[in-house]
Amino acid sequence: MKPARFEYFRPTTPAEAVEILARYDGNARLLAGGQSLVPLLNFRVVTPAALIDLNHCPGLDEIRRDGETLLFGPMVRQAAAETSELVRACCPLITATMPFLGSRTVRNRGTIGGTLAHADRVAELPAIAVALGATMIAESPNGRREIPAEDFYVGDLTTDLAADEMLREIRFPITSAGHRFAFVEANNRHHDLALAGVAVNLDCAAERCDRAVLVVMGVGPTPLRLTAAEQRLEGQAITPSAIKDAAAASVDGIAFESDLHASADYRRHALPGLVARALEQAMHRSAETVR
Amino acid sequence: MSTAKHRIALTVNGRKIVREIEPRLLLSDFLRSELRLTGTHVGCGHGVCGACTVSINGSTARSCLTFAIQMDGAVIETVESLAPRGPLSVIQQAFHEHHALQCGFCTPGFLMTARELLARDPDPSEETIRTALSGNICRCTGYVHIVRAIRAAARKLAEGASHVD
Amino acid sequence: MSTKSDDPRGLIGRRIPRKEDDRLLRGFGTYTDDVEEPVGTLHAVFVMSPHAHARIVSIDVGEAQQSEGVVAVYTGADFAGRVKPIVSDIEQPGYQPINRVIMATDRVRFVGEAVAVVVAESRYLAEDAADLVRVDYEELAPVVDVDQATQPDAPVLHDGTTDNVLFQASYKTAGFDEVFAAADHVVQDTFQSHRLAVVALEPRGCFAVYDRGHDRLTLWTSTQIPHIVRTAIANLLDWDETRLRVIAPDVGGGFGTKAYVYPEELIVSFLARELQAPVKWISDRREDLMTSAQGREYRFNVALAFRKDGTLLAAKAKIDCNIGAYPGFPFGASAEAGGAAIYLPGPYRMPHYAYETRAITTTTCPSGVYRGVAAPAAFFATEVLMDRAARELGFDPADIRRKNVLVAADLPYKNATGIVYSSGSFDTCLERALEASGYAAFRQAQTADRMRDGKLRGVGIANVVEHTGQGASRYRQRGILYVPGFDAAHVKIEPNGRAIVWVSECTQGQGHLTSFAQIAAEQLGIGIDDVTIIEGDTGQGPYGTGTFASRGAVVAGGATLRASQKVAEKIRRIAAHVLEAAPDDLELADGQVSVKGVRQLSMPIREIAAMAHSMDPRALPDGESFGLEATDYYDPPVASITNAAHVAEVSIDPVTGLVTIEKYIVAHDCGRVINPLIVDGQIHGAVVQGLSSVLSEAMRYDESGQPMTGTLMDYLVSTAADAPDITVLHEENWSPDTAGGFKGVGEGGVIGALPAAANAIADALAPFGARINRLPLLPSAVIALMKASPPQR
Repeated sequence: MKPARFEYFRPTTPAEAVEILARYDGNARLLAGGQSLVPLLNFRVVTPAALIDLNHCPGLDEIRRDGETLLFGPMVRQAAAETSELVRACCPLITATMPFLGSRTVRNRGTIGGTLAHADRVAELPAIAVALGATMIAESPNGRREIPAEDFYVGDLTTDLAADEMLREIRFPITSAGHRFAFVEANNRHHDLALAGVAVNLDCAAERCDRAVLVVMGVGPTPLRLTAAEQRLEGQAITPSAIKDAAAASVDGIAFESDLHASADYRRHALPGLVARALEQAMHRSAETVR
Repeated sequence: MSTAKHRIALTVNGRKIVREIEPRLLLSDFLRSELRLTGTHVGCGHGVCGACTVSINGSTARSCLTFAIQMDGAVIETVESLAPRGPLSVIQQAFHEHHALQCGFCTPGFLMTARELLARDPDPSEETIRTALSGNICRCTGYVHIVRAIRAAARKLAEGASHVD
Repeated sequence: MSTKSDDPRGLIGRRIPRKEDDRLLRGFGTYTDDVEEPVGTLHAVFVMSPHAHARIVSIDVGEAQQSEGVVAVYTGADFAGRVKPIVSDIEQPGYQPINRVIMATDRVRFVGEAVAVVVAESRYLAEDAADLVRVDYEELAPVVDVDQATQPDAPVLHDGTTDNVLFQASYKTAGFDEVFAAADHVVQDTFQSHRLAVVALEPRGCFAVYDRGHDRLTLWTSTQIPHIVRTAIANLLDWDETRLRVIAPDVGGGFGTKAYVYPEELIVSFLARELQAPVKWISDRREDLMTSAQGREYRFNVALAFRKDGTLLAAKAKIDCNIGAYPGFPFGASAEAGGAAIYLPGPYRMPHYAYETRAITTTTCPSGVYRGVAAPAAFFATEVLMDRAARELGFDPADIRRKNVLVAADLPYKNATGIVYSSGSFDTCLERALEASGYAAFRQAQTADRMRDGKLRGVGIANVVEHTGQGASRYRQRGILYVPGFDAAHVKIEPNGRAIVWVSECTQGQGHLTSFAQIAAEQLGIGIDDVTIIEGDTGQGPYGTGTFASRGAVVAGGATLRASQKVAEKIRRIAAHVLEAAPDDLELADGQVSVKGVRQLSMPIREIAAMAHSMDPRALPDGESFGLEATDYYDPPVASITNAAHVAEVSIDPVTGLVTIEKYIVAHDCGRVINPLIVDGQIHGAVVQGLSSVLSEAMRYDESGQPMTGTLMDYLVSTAADAPDITVLHEENWSPDTAGGFKGVGEGGVIGALPAAANAIADALAPFGARINRLPLLPSAVIALMKASPPQR
């Protein structure tokens, strides 16, 4: 299990990185944290002609606030995001989800951009990006473009990024004072890859929900909005009965898939309970955003 | 840059190292074959078992998922840095007293992970310890003694033992 | 670091931290891949079949041979005629022996079977070349499970056999049919345990270093059986055994998967001599999961017959074992199926037993003697049925066991297959485990809906026995000819009064270097730090069997004890001469030989050692030879039966179906305990391995025989987050049969874990009427059981 040969590049600017990407026309891979990519290289499942190492490219690992937006450079380490007070204050759903991403050792090297761009169906952050309405900034030699998170995820391990584009920045809207949030998962072991997970982002004012964004991950190739559940919650007081109602409705319109680890039936069965659990957690947790 | 050999300069266990290596050489293989630091073990090659865990720039990392070429300028510590000679570290001594190792193959990974845990959280509960260890597989011990050893080490460190590792 | 004990007396039974730890903790262990590579070491990579069953039409190695750094590429044809096939011939009725060529020539029978080997200057370059080997296959129909393999039109997988049932046996006690027919109550079900991969943390590997001047070969290999490997290589490669040395350096876990002679060991040895260069092969985890002996795909159809007062009368079992593509050497095709039948009778009075058992070959990875072998699955069946019988007859599961468990007055007890339980604490362990777990209070507080704090909760009991320390006679009875069955120890005291003990076994983490040192040091009267144990090297010390099947303490411990006693006797004879006392009046302790009760009349053992090497002015007594050493070959006369009771408490998340082990208690009797710390460690590790196979492990094959769980991301092993804390209570009933009174301990934890956890899960799911008969019980399985019959409102 040793990787096949590749050319190695260590660009010092993003422009340089995307220029190499363009030159290799789909035959180069960006190396961020490596926790998802290098196993594939070791197995020779992917054999790129070139590896573009972003780890020595300065300025890609910033977390900063710009007005009502929280900005991540793609190379922000997951461990750094987890312990960032700024992230907790602006988008606590991210902070709450980070412990699910794998062991501490994996989170030390794994990056926000890497996991978002790798688009593994069992990755949690894509669901969080969709739940929080993030915007992905792609950069190519031709310039930048903005892609809403919901449009970014196209299929298994497939995003909207073109062969010559890198994920340059991720922008999250800062959550409101009435923000209620939670993330829950079903797993085959304690602390394991997800079989299904639910992210909850509620905008509540005086116990009434103005806006509900609920996202399920792991039941299919991409994160999916639980629109039927959302509709049951918006404009409502989030009572136990409303939660039960939304949970029951959550499966509507969702395509469940089977795989080695769980059947479609299992995922369909587990979803309402996970939605209920997530909503209960969200309502019990006090709002922590700082203006 | 190409597939031809590249020069890297790094620090491993306090020693400055300069080598020419090919890009695809994994850090685990570099440490083991090039530097003869065979304490870091390869149990899976895909980042799951944790036996290959080392410290890169102060944080634990999977050496089987890192290329040596990425380590230009890095400061690396392996299990051999904990007690190259002389007394065992507090954590190692606790592992010994609590029979927290049997075949020893997973042990270096557990030691590096435990060290990081206790540096960050000096008084972890059993649950916290078990969660922190969920990225390291052991097939021999059933984890019971490992958890007890780490709790004992935490107490010992809190009492002001001389070195953190 | 110190393992010094102030009092060297009474070392057996003491909780001493291990002598082997220091170097392992520092990272100075030497596993097979760590062995220093001479300049010019070559690396081997195997080209593996992607098909479960296929004919090899052609192999083109031309491009691979031209690849950078490649020294040679060999196929099966290159070995044919130069290396004999591995034959697993077991002398038992109902056995069909087969040959396994060391590399496939015309037919492959499992995904992962090697068809070529590339030897190159580095592993990386060898893998590059392996990708260039072109093999043309004609796919044949796979047979993946025992049912497919036993269809009348199933392809016969092996030449020279009539069908795919490579072994079968049956047995019935006299009068069985009448007793069974007359029973008031019968519980029956078919239990299926899933195929497992063993996942020793260190993947398999071997490294052959050839000395062309002396025509001698040293093979470093991650094995449990160095002597058996050496003899096999000598026989199959037609080499002189005395020119072969097999060394197991540090071995990172064995658990039975490394208790086989593998084709890779033969091939690597052959290549080193052929190419006159050191040749190394280390499997990666993907290969290991595909080719290292797997285990435990067994189907047990079991019926237990009871009187209505709960008395167990008889058991009937029909067992099918999927042993994979090739029986392994030396255990052959019958070890699992034979063992499955023999191990089923447990710690109960059960006069009648009937079984039919079969070992069936399929186009899957060869399967073998994984920790516990078939006993965990056997007790999974019987103990789950005990619980069901209890419920159906109106008993608490603890009480039906109390009614039937063997008590002291029953011993010695000859079970229905003729195995004698000469000692044990079957009832005591049951009571202690129940008490320590708070079983009665748990039942008292338990509600019909099983819910508490948002989770379903249950408790389960397992009452089990383990067959340990089997010697030559047992292996001969089972027709297994190539397992010697004895082990040996050679004790030598050096001129400085310290001892080296060479033992013919081979540790993979079981703490032999400490346990055996405790035994020797106690006999010799010296400190544990003055004894060095050397194992695992056929070039040093006597011949023996190796370490598997919970035999270390009994067989090697016994040999060490007896060899040490012989040396101690000589020490006494020499000292008697110097101290002018009778040898029987002398005791050895604290490094001194002294007259019992008269400590001033003593002399240092170190001086006896000097005398024995002619380094002291005093002469030895007449007739006494120089030297202070002795060898003992020990063959235990019978299998040693250990017993244990396990109690598990579980909780189940009703939303996700995830099972959590909340509490785990083991009351265990492994005879005389050498080191309780090590015994605890063995039990913990075995329990968690067993629990892992209940909760999440499953080596899955699809219908074409493709392994689907080929990495540790898909093959799910329990981590610390899944495993419980475990309380171990010791009972010590010394074996009356073995030297030292020791019994084995390595596998009992697995045997008890499957039934205890299964029963606890069944108890938690009682409101759903769930019948547990399949493992693993992943969340999907639990939810499916809950959905199948939801509780009545």
